[in-house]
Amino acid sequence: MVYKVSYVVLGGGHPGAIINQFEEPEVGQHVRIGKKTFEIVEVNELMPARGDFAFLHATVRLLEAKRKKNL
Amino acid sequence: MTNQLLLYKAVELFDGLTTDQIEALITISQQEVYHEDQTIFAQDDEGDRMYIIRSGQVEVSVQKNIHTPAETKIFLGQGQIFGEIALIDYGRRSATVKAMADKTVVDTIHRENFNKLCQSNTAIGFVVMRNLAIDLSYKLRHQNLRDAER
Repeated sequence: MVYKVSYVVLGGGHPGAIINQFEEPEVGQHVRIGKKTFEIVEVNELMPARGDFAFLHATVRLLEAKRKKNL
Repeated sequence: MTNQLLLYKAVELFDGLTTDQIEALITISQQEVYHEDQTIFAQDDEGDRMYIIRSGQVEVSVQKNIHTPAETKIFLGQGQIFGEIALIDYGRRSATVKAMADKTVVDTIHRENFNKLCQSNTAIGFVVMRNLAIDLSYKLRHQNLRDAER
């Protein structure tokens, strides 16, 4: 299965990304978008799967922002 | 099966095509490699080809006018296509696209070669055009979700 994932960043300040990947994204995983790293906080189906393609929407948050909060 | 064939089978643009049909597309594609921050094409350039990302990521940005900085619209990764709008409407590039990683590898398909192939094999043309429409709607959905986050 190929997972076509729409990564949307919490807060909308970052444009996010669309990436095809062979592994299903999971909450807690890290993803590199452009030159920044994000953490996946939610994954939902965006459109019904078709053939070998699944269409997902993942909400992510900037990892640096989370780190700063924890300090 | 070649690496390129395996990759193309994982590209939604070619979903529904037979192996022979994908191989016909491979024969008209050309590979290009870009380094980090290298511009692949600039807004308002003439566009005569579309691109398929084999590896790496690209940034798509738009400058509304010369007085404002360019705004990043989206990042696209492996398996995504870009530059398809100019392929369809023959217009100039609507955005600037830049490689985000060293050794960003893309395949290009030239409009003239693509049109010739579609004319000689209309089944390829139908499937690819349908998939292009689906890809554009997916990008719109992404944009809508992003707007909802703002």
